[in-house]
Amino acid sequence: MIEAGHFAAFLALVFCGLQAGFGLRGDRDQSGLFAGLGFAAMGFAFFTLVYAFARSDFSVELVAAHSHTLKPFGYKIAGTWGNHEGSMALWCLVGLGFGAAGGWLMKSDRPKFESRALGVQGLLNLASLAYLLFASSPFTRLDPAPLQGQGLNPLLQDPALAIHPPMLYLGYVGYSFVFALAAAGLIEGRIDRQWAKQARGWALAAFVPLTLGIALGSYWAYYELGWGGWWFWDPVENASLMPWLIGAALMHSIIVTEKRGSFSAWTALLAVLAFCFSLLGAFLVRSGVLTSVHSFAVDPLRGSVLLAGLLILGGAALVLFALRAPKLSGGPEWLATSREGALMGNNLILTVATFTVLLGTLFPLIAEAVGQTISVGEPYFNLTFTPIMALALVALPVVQAWAWGKADLSSLWKWALGFAGIVAAFWLAGIGPLNIPLLAGVGLALGVWLIFGAGQEIWRRAKTFARLPKMPLRVWGMTLAHAGLGIFVIGAVLQSSGRTQTTLALQEGETQTVAGWDVRLDDVSSVEGPNWYAERATLTAVRGGTAAQMQPQKRYYPAARMPTTETAIHKTGTSDLYIALGDGRRNRAGETRWTFEVFLNPLIDFVYLGVVLIALGAGLSMAGKRTRTRKDAEEETA
Amino acid sequence: MKAVLAALLVLFAAEGGAQLDDPKQEARAQDLMREIRCVACENEPISNSGSDIAADMRDRVRAMVADGMSDEEIRDWFSERYGEFVLFRPSSEGPGGWLLWGAPFVLLIAGGALIFALRRGGSNASGAVEPVDPEEAGSP
Repeated sequence: MIEAGHFAAFLALVFCGLQAGFGLRGDRDQSGLFAGLGFAAMGFAFFTLVYAFARSDFSVELVAAHSHTLKPFGYKIAGTWGNHEGSMALWCLVGLGFGAAGGWLMKSDRPKFESRALGVQGLLNLASLAYLLFASSPFTRLDPAPLQGQGLNPLLQDPALAIHPPMLYLGYVGYSFVFALAAAGLIEGRIDRQWAKQARGWALAAFVPLTLGIALGSYWAYYELGWGGWWFWDPVENASLMPWLIGAALMHSIIVTEKRGSFSAWTALLAVLAFCFSLLGAFLVRSGVLTSVHSFAVDPLRGSVLLAGLLILGGAALVLFALRAPKLSGGPEWLATSREGALMGNNLILTVATFTVLLGTLFPLIAEAVGQTISVGEPYFNLTFTPIMALALVALPVVQAWAWGKADLSSLWKWALGFAGIVAAFWLAGIGPLNIPLLAGVGLALGVWLIFGAGQEIWRRAKTFARLPKMPLRVWGMTLAHAGLGIFVIGAVLQSSGRTQTTLALQEGETQTVAGWDVRLDDVSSVEGPNWYAERATLTAVRGGTAAQMQPQKRYYPAARMPTTETAIHKTGTSDLYIALGDGRRNRAGETRWTFEVFLNPLIDFVYLGVVLIALGAGLSMAGKRTRTRKDAEEETA
Repeated sequence: MKAVLAALLVLFAAEGGAQLDDPKQEARAQDLMREIRCVACENEPISNSGSDIAADMRDRVRAMVADGMSDEEIRDWFSERYGEFVLFRPSSEGPGGWLLWGAPFVLLIAGGALIFALRRGGSNASGAVEPVDPEEAGSP
């Protein structure tokens, strides 16, 4: 079975070669056909892998190394991509999927351009398939087959982390198609309004799953690591944040290219960079050059192959860009204070933010090269990334009302007054009833400001309630995404300023009070799962009239010889009471006390709600193809 | 098996981890713990780590806060003992520090100036700035 899959993957490699060959020669239909065939072949190859994992076929080396008969069925399946080789196979599958979708869905009057895009995409897929087959083949047999597998990294035995890689890869690899479109556009020297119209949908198709994938990873880290937080500025997290930031910049710049024909070169550059940063992310995670809590596959040799690929691809793309960029013309004139200027400002801030994340992530490596070992962590990003992004958030509600070309600045003072008012309100409330620090007050004000701004913008366009539902989906998408950003900011600010952490040491039967909750340890018992043992504490938390039973665990997976934390989270609607079980310690008197990390996380759900709204907004604006009336069109450009 | 496991998880150790009575001092100590890296783990601050050495380091932070040492003195103490590696907030001194802390802001300001200077994304091939029309020239 697995041999058939191996053969099918080679077949996919050949089809990709044909897709690239026909595509670059300009044969649109043949290229699209082979893209589809390649996807079908790779789909079968991937299926044989999944099948081997589902059946726990330990004669396949990958299954023996990463699976176990006692593992729940769902996680056997998810185990297919819970390792380096399998995740690379998934990467290829997604890449070929985008190629096939491109061949199927692209329907413009520029077959030559589409053909070239398919050709470039074919080349990219060819490279990733070659990497899969020759540098990290998942199709290797093991003889003799062991009776039992070595198990999966238990941290990955989790629903969020089972679907996190596919989502993330839909984003990462989705940008390979955007890259291909940009390369084809650059080859033709034509990055124009029609190009932008076509590429925008694909850029969004990558952005939405990437957003959700990052959110899933963050949510997993929140409840699984037992650290109470949702973002740790860990190198692997940063690796996924960089393509997201560039993707967000691209999403805004491509609008200018679509509506005005301006920013062509810049949009093309971002389209190229989004995939380069995706590859960089894969390299950082896979190579293990950066130690991290998340990375589960570390191999320096594979890393260097990836790095070489990244350098060749990035280099080629930049040369092409440098050759063609001067020929890209575009757009009517614009002032710095115009919608173009505003979106350029958005792009500047997002790219500088990306650069900051890159610098902070790579700086320890650079320092090590000159003989220093230093760490760059959360405090650095809080003092650089956060204020830089805050600039964009302050400006957003004001500048999104600006007109193309030249903005009317006469109402600027109203906006300044409104912003000052919101900040003052939160500041005063902060000193008084809410009792929050000044910076947190400003942060909360910023969140409210963004939500207000999102509402104001759609109101400005609709003008009456009756017309609100008739606004184009694109406008609704933008509104939702920007309001989501505000909700996210509120959640994030409350997390960084309002979270409390307390360490409790409790004996059975003992009660202590934490942040208004009376927490009693009822007992600690041993429990067993299909492939793990655990110590499970049963606690009763009481506040006011409500009582909650909470059962945090400390699990041990014998097959992987690894402990994990299973936190207990009680949602009150406005906050999470979050308890992680620590060690049991016996003192000299023979009493055992169990330590607990108890967090009270106010409105943590806002963080995730905000991010989901951003993804939803982006998705809506992609779907928005409602035929626009002339009035709508006038409004959008107004 | 379970008995073995229970024995594994129950460590024989002195009781530690007592929090400071003054909530302000405790909050300061916790902020510091988030900035100090556990020397036995991968990329974790001592506030999160379950390792014994991290627990010792936490106790040390609390003791120093209770002794009235300033944040700077506590950071220096750890930095001298374990190297600068132990601080998640790298120093801003020296050329490396300047680059790390300054580059993002320099880039932001330079980019902002560039937008004002360019104003229009060039329809002109060379990228040179064409003279703007009189109306535009008047505004910033």
